[in-house]
Amino acid sequence: MSDQPLQPFSPPASLTELLPNGISSGTVVEWILFVVFAFWAIYTLVAIYHWLKYSHASWVAFPAIAVHLFISLALITYTLSGQALFLANYLP
Amino acid sequence: MKEFELEPGEHVVKQVRKHWFVFLTELLPYAIMAVLPFAAPKLLMLAPPMAIYATFFDFTTPLARAALGVWLLISWTSAWGTFTRYFLNAWVLTNERIVTIKQRAFFRREVASLLLPRVQDVTTNVNGILFSLLGIGNIKVQSAGADVEFTMRGIPHPEQMRDLILKYIPEGDSEKITGV
Repeated sequence: MSDQPLQPFSPPASLTELLPNGISSGTVVEWILFVVFAFWAIYTLVAIYHWLKYSHASWVAFPAIAVHLFISLALITYTLSGQALFLANYLP
Repeated sequence: MKEFELEPGEHVVKQVRKHWFVFLTELLPYAIMAVLPFAAPKLLMLAPPMAIYATFFDFTTPLARAALGVWLLISWTSAWGTFTRYFLNAWVLTNERIVTIKQRAFFRREVASLLLPRVQDVTTNVNGILFSLLGIGNIKVQSAGADVEFTMRGIPHPEQMRDLILKYIPEGDSEKITGV
């Protein structure tokens, strides 16, 4: 056991130093956003398919899909531009 | 009903899903996940050695806002997926049978029927103070002979559902029933 006092952690100075040459941090961010949005789109399509096929023509199906799309699109807009549309009062 | 066709003279008596409180408890992890980026700076400030990390959560830079947006999008979509699964799971009682619809995951759906004359045992149980106060419980229906057993957990007022099932079992079979 070391007799030295514990030192606080320090945040990494720059993760971009770990990137291979020729790949900018902007490119990495673009790809991460692309993967997240692609996953969101596939997940949403699958869920909508299930709602429409199995919800027994319930009145809940369309409002549930609409609310999901509205909130998701506001969050995607916030991610891309920093403007949260109708969620602006709740986000920094 | 698309998954099962009602026979002539058959009608739906009741359709039940899990209690809303059970649904809310399933949503809780996503609510915590959504609140975490806003609560983290305050929590970090409580522990002075960790306070330097609080600056990560100021969300003034475009990159920080993008990260927050992605985090909230994942939280929201996961919560909505939970609601979808909650809604697509149901028990349907008709005047002739019980149908269980289990949406275990996307593309993993089970629909099973049990004819009411084959019902031999209906058991309900309510466990715990909170579930007793809210009227949340489980109901188990067993068929005669075969090992068919339907169980639905966390439904509202299981004793009312049990009484309805017993009510719709044909008279000739009622002496066999041992509803608890």
